[in-house]
Amino acid sequence: MVRFIVRRFVSLVVVLFSLSVLVFVLQRVGNADPVRAYLGPNASQAAIAATRIRFGLDKPLIVQYFDYLGGLFHGDLGMSYSTRRPVAVELADKVPATLELAAWVLFFAVILAVVLAGIYTLKGPVSGVIRFVFFSFASAPSFLLATLMLLFFFKQLHWFPAVGRITDTSGGGPTGFYVLDGLLTGNLAYSLDAIQHLVLPALAASLGLGVALARVLADGLSSGMASNYARTARSLAETERSILFRHSLRNASSPALSMLGVLSGAMLSSLVVVEQIFSWNGLGQYLSTAIASADFPAVAGVSLVLGAVYVILTAIVDVVLALVDPRVKLT
Amino acid sequence: MTPQVLDVREMSISYGSRVPALLAVSGVSFSVESGQCLGVVGESGSGKSTTGLAIQGLLTRDPSVSATGSLTIAGTELNPVIERGWEGIRGRTVTTVFQDPMSSLDPTMTIGRMLTFIAGTKAESLRWLEEVEIRDPAAVFRSYPHQLSGGMRQRVMIALALARRPALLIADEPTTALDVSVQAQILKLLRREQEALGCGIVFVTHDLGVAKAMCDDVVVMRNGSIVERGSSARVFGTPESEYARRLMESRLTMATDRHRPVGLPEATVVNAMVESLNEGRAETATTTVDAVTAEWNARSLLWSDFAPADVGEVSVPPGASPGAAPIAALEFTDVTKSYPTGGGISRRKTVLSGVSLCVEKRESVALVGESGSGKSTILRIAAGLESASGGSVHRSDVDADAVQVIFQDAGASLTPWLTVGQILTERVRNSKRGGRTSARDAAELVGLAMDRVSLDRALLASKPGQLSGGQRQRVAIARAIVIPPTILLCDEPTSALDVSIASTVLNLLNLLRHALGISVLFVTHDLAAARVISDRILVISDGQIIESVPSENVSSTVSSDYARRLLDAVLA
Repeated sequence: MVRFIVRRFVSLVVVLFSLSVLVFVLQRVGNADPVRAYLGPNASQAAIAATRIRFGLDKPLIVQYFDYLGGLFHGDLGMSYSTRRPVAVELADKVPATLELAAWVLFFAVILAVVLAGIYTLKGPVSGVIRFVFFSFASAPSFLLATLMLLFFFKQLHWFPAVGRITDTSGGGPTGFYVLDGLLTGNLAYSLDAIQHLVLPALAASLGLGVALARVLADGLSSGMASNYARTARSLAETERSILFRHSLRNASSPALSMLGVLSGAMLSSLVVVEQIFSWNGLGQYLSTAIASADFPAVAGVSLVLGAVYVILTAIVDVVLALVDPRVKLT
Repeated sequence: MTPQVLDVREMSISYGSRVPALLAVSGVSFSVESGQCLGVVGESGSGKSTTGLAIQGLLTRDPSVSATGSLTIAGTELNPVIERGWEGIRGRTVTTVFQDPMSSLDPTMTIGRMLTFIAGTKAESLRWLEEVEIRDPAAVFRSYPHQLSGGMRQRVMIALALARRPALLIADEPTTALDVSVQAQILKLLRREQEALGCGIVFVTHDLGVAKAMCDDVVVMRNGSIVERGSSARVFGTPESEYARRLMESRLTMATDRHRPVGLPEATVVNAMVESLNEGRAETATTTVDAVTAEWNARSLLWSDFAPADVGEVSVPPGASPGAAPIAALEFTDVTKSYPTGGGISRRKTVLSGVSLCVEKRESVALVGESGSGKSTILRIAAGLESASGGSVHRSDVDADAVQVIFQDAGASLTPWLTVGQILTERVRNSKRGGRTSARDAAELVGLAMDRVSLDRALLASKPGQLSGGQRQRVAIARAIVIPPTILLCDEPTSALDVSIASTVLNLLNLLRHALGISVLFVTHDLAAARVISDRILVISDGQIIESVPSENVSSTVSSDYARRLLDAVLA
């Protein structure tokens, strides 16, 4: 098992390296001259030449790449063209915001998937309703869901706040994950407020994901319920519910987990939109401003971070897969 | 008088809502007492499996099943299709040992977790593992099903079924998926446990040998009805019904006459025999169906009657040089095979260690061994599906058409979306020997192959899913011989089939190899089948051929302990 995790980690590092090459090349092939973009249209020739040397852009491309890579190791993602501040500093509070939201989206999606698939498989009175949900919600775009939720839960019912991560911005803690910070500093009200703000955006982004997962899971669960090991369990007086949760769920979770790994990429991109709608001060919002102002180092920085998050998520899914199914070959 | 644990009266079961209902079981009555073992014997579609499921209450979840008649288990009146009343009976008073222990055990759960759920405590679970003669209970307790051998898995299954001390145990083909020698151990274990617990057993099986060895009494089922019942000594000794007699005739033992067709004549096989006898003979010397049937019944029909009229035409394909020295159809010299095990670069698992064997032209050789002995690896290397790690493999004809393989699971080896006609035509088109034939000639070849395997040409339009298991295996054989190969490799082609169908497939293979002059390498774990199909038997164990004996008198010539053990495991 340890071997497997180490190997998975090595391949993760290889993927991250390739990602850094890709992001570097994309920055350089673009037609825009980074120095002109940084200094603006009215800069003098001398200033341009000086900045070019300061950024190391006079060196060969390969040296530039290793400079860039070395910078990455020191947490240097370059300077933002539009704000003239280091990208890494700007991302420092955006990354926890997005990661916190992403964690809640995954949490909601998994709960939703297990509940929907479980009820559907046990053929209860509402399984017809769930079939309708399977068809309709899998195709519902997250921005539409987000808008509808705002109209209903915020405007009509006033249950949840509409924008931002927190009401009282003066509080805070060491991690930037507000719910966690509240718990760490003993400020429960702070945590609760953060959760209230998280519910609507997390739900909006998790519904589609959860339903897609539920469909895969329901498939696996029904074949699990029809399997020979389920028959054995029945012949040993286990109830249907016990067979579902003790036997089928674990057997069916492999394909659902693989699906989750793949879909987590789509989830990250849907967060970009959802953050806009809920004015969530995270990577997504930052990215849309950066793209609009052709701020290449900023775009590259966000791409690197999101790419790394995705690659790490898939690696975690692989390890969980191996833990869930003892037959998975640990190679 | 011992108490009755099971009483079935006039039970009928039907599937689907069709009117009139399709009866899977019709008007079946039998009873089992404590300590008694009743065999329910029949072939596929006889209703024995439905009967087995009904008496353990496993039909209650399917709303399309309906039942009439009465069912009493340990004094409780139950309805096989209604859930009410089954709680407290199913899984407690009546438990089951299923056929395939691999798929019947949850792959994600350790044996310990499964067993503790039933037995209550770890100590009790370990005691049960010991009870079913598992050598290292503590290790098995921690293992997952896929880490155990088939026999061990079935022992675990038995421990699970017995741990609640049921009054009635249903054994649903519990040894069908196991090696013969393991089968004998499992049957012995079941017998011993029955004596210890005093439970009644309903033993559902298609294997007459197993039923004879295991059961006190048997009922023989056909098409949903019981056609014969009585003590197993009586039923198997002097069967009264025509069907039971036919089943007994089809059964292979070490005493089966191997020079003649097995079993009672079947019209389609007789037709194929008539045709192959008449092939190449003068009009005046032709044989008729009546004559062949009469000869078969009189037991005077010999395989040697089917020696091909013109061997040269078939065995020397175009392209092979006729002047070359006669060499064996297949020859292995010191062949080795090993696989990397994944535990480091140098660690390899040896599957074959120095195998030398030779199949002469028109000879049939059987390769007999248990699972893991390496017999299937030899077959795959002979077929060119795998390459040997060392040694050399020679074939008399090196073109791709010279070798054809028939696999155990014929259903899986036929493309499901093609018709039988397309499957066979594709084989003709893709072969070097038949690739340039015109469409009409190809159709002629395909039609001839269907006749040779005794399948109606009308089935050419069917897809594999619409055929029975026996028919699918015949299609697989037809595909293998539509362009006659030099050597036919058979990987347990009969072990998934019912006895009567298995015997007709063996008859067919024997007929084809004599009539077409094909060499055969027949891989099996069943000595009785090997004896009938082959001229010579090679016994293989742990990747080495340990003995070569003529099939004519296996029983008297085998010398190794291993072969003796295989021989003893063949149930008389």
